[in-house]
Amino acid sequence: MITVESLTRRYGAFTAVDDVSFVCQPGRVTGFLGPNGAGKTTTMRVMVGLTQPTSGRVTIGGHRYADIPNPGRHVGVLLDASAQHAGRTGREILTIGAETMGLPKSRVDEMLRMVSLDDREAKRRLKNYSLGMKQRLGIAHALLGDPSVLILDEPANGLDPAGIRWMRGLLKDYADRGGTVLLSSHLLHEVEQIADEMILIGRGRIVASGTKEQLLAGTETKAAHVTALDNDLLAKALQAKGVTVAAAGTGLRAECAPVEVGRVAAEQAIVLTDLRSAGGGLEDLFLSLTEDTQREAPAQTPSAPATAEGTAR
Amino acid sequence: MSATSASTANPRPLDLASTPQVPLTRLAKVEYRKALDTRAGRWFIAAILLLVVAVEVIYAFAAGDDQKNFQDFLQVPGAVLGYFLPIIAIMLVTSEASQRNGLVTFTLEPRRSRVVLAKFLAGLGLAVSVMVLGLVLAVLGTLFGIVTGGSPSWSLDTGIVVNAIVLANVIGVFVGFALAMLIMNTPAAIVGYFVYSFILPTAVGILRALSDGFDKIAPWIEFNTAQTPLISGDFSPTGEQWAQIATSGFIWLIVPLAIGIWRLLRIEFK
Ligand SMILES: Nc1ncnc2c1ncn2[C@@H]1O[C@H](COP(=O)(O)OP(=O)(O)OP(=O)(O)O)[C@@H](O)[C@H]1O
Ligand SMILES: [Mg+2]
Repeated sequence: MITVESLTRRYGAFTAVDDVSFVCQPGRVTGFLGPNGAGKTTTMRVMVGLTQPTSGRVTIGGHRYADIPNPGRHVGVLLDASAQHAGRTGREILTIGAETMGLPKSRVDEMLRMVSLDDREAKRRLKNYSLGMKQRLGIAHALLGDPSVLILDEPANGLDPAGIRWMRGLLKDYADRGGTVLLSSHLLHEVEQIADEMILIGRGRIVASGTKEQLLAGTETKAAHVTALDNDLLAKALQAKGVTVAAAGTGLRAECAPVEVGRVAAEQAIVLTDLRSAGGGLEDLFLSLTEDTQREAPAQTPSAPATAEGTAR
Repeated sequence: MSATSASTANPRPLDLASTPQVPLTRLAKVEYRKALDTRAGRWFIAAILLLVVAVEVIYAFAAGDDQKNFQDFLQVPGAVLGYFLPIIAIMLVTSEASQRNGLVTFTLEPRRSRVVLAKFLAGLGLAVSVMVLGLVLAVLGTLFGIVTGGSPSWSLDTGIVVNAIVLANVIGVFVGFALAMLIMNTPAAIVGYFVYSFILPTAVGILRALSDGFDKIAPWIEFNTAQTPLISGDFSPTGEQWAQIATSGFIWLIVPLAIGIWRLLRIEFK
């Protein structure tokens, strides 16, 4: 498990990480979420001793990272998949890691197979790797020493949909076997699907944390997107109940909870093809919590009209 | 879990006893491998050896027949390696920042001083390997010298082996390490090294010719000048010359090396 205690890192007058405390439990995937420049990478760099904290500390399994002998055997780290010598082959990069950690050569082949890099690709130089291939190699490198703790900075970056699904499964399995996983992202929907716990950071400070349910508790959904076989009929039925309805995309936007729409549709025997909450979910929460730390005001985010309304506060 | 529960949580310890510290010899072996596992590294060393071969061949033709002794041919790799071994040391260190693999290196061994030591050992190991190959090439050169008309003596002064070849090259390698750690950028460090080893002694030479006073103090403060007795003449510096090597070496080697190590232990690898 990873324990971050009152961690602060300043660069001159600028505070990149500001009094951050959290815990990543074993057996759970913890998502570390925040907009660009929020301090995620800096926090993770402090965890593995690459950056010195200005104050506060991080322990992994009760130890400072620098006090862990042969740390690659305990903590798997992926900070930046392209931070490797561009002239080395993928296989060589893993071989160096395996040799440092004192692992047999066979481990390299195992890892290459696990991340689906074939023999020919493993022989290519890193500079000729695609983004996703680098990422796979980085994940293989992190898992090389069979660690019990994983620290991954934007692991899904560059992975194709199949790769992302594979990684999700991998990390879930890993946590189910008792491993501790911390992964960062600025893509909410990505973390939402993998993480058991979430830590939201904005401008160096933690703005919220907890499970998805805990985070959503207290935020109600007050609008729904719905598409029915007969949209007009549904619109009339909703309006009859006093719900404001507007056309949105191929369907409607109703200013009420999705459950209300479902109830009306059931009563009127209207067939729905799609029903989901419009805003009010994690994304809204995330955007509102980190609002003052966003680079763009959320309402200006270019997107479909309905979504734009949904995210306006 | 919450952001404030950090202090009350019960940390689950890692089983540290199961993994002993990475032995220094293993780290050094890995660093040695890293110097040779890229095209740049391999070609650089191959190029140095090819250059030695070329100079040996030219020397076999150009030198007078009475100057085709083993000792003469041995000075060729001595001089060529003197210029290029430090660059191997430089690349060994600066690639960690320039190629950014330092992120991984110092994550797998966060006790950076051990990585520094491993790099020193690997650098020395590489220097010795290349020197041994240079020695072999000098033997071949001497044999080739017989073909071109020489009748060589195979005797060696200890001075040339210990001072001109081993000591001068080891000093060179550590000057390379010092520059590399101070500058931490491959091209800049190599430029810095050539300024140090070519431009600086040339400038000092000019100043020495212009000023009598400077002529006297130059070997005390300029390392290349001080090392001249190591690599020329009878390869055995006098007591005063050793003192000059020590004082100028303190300025140009010990101090930069200390600052360089201090810097490497602290910088943020990004
Ligand atoms: N060495 C440094 N000097 C000055 N500022 C720095 C330094 N390192 C990081 N920062 C600043 O610290 C802040 C946090 O950066 P960090 O890389 O941790 O963000 P992040 O959350 O990982 O962002 P992203 O999602 O874009 O990766 C940024 O504003 C960054 O510019
Ligand atoms: Mg980042």
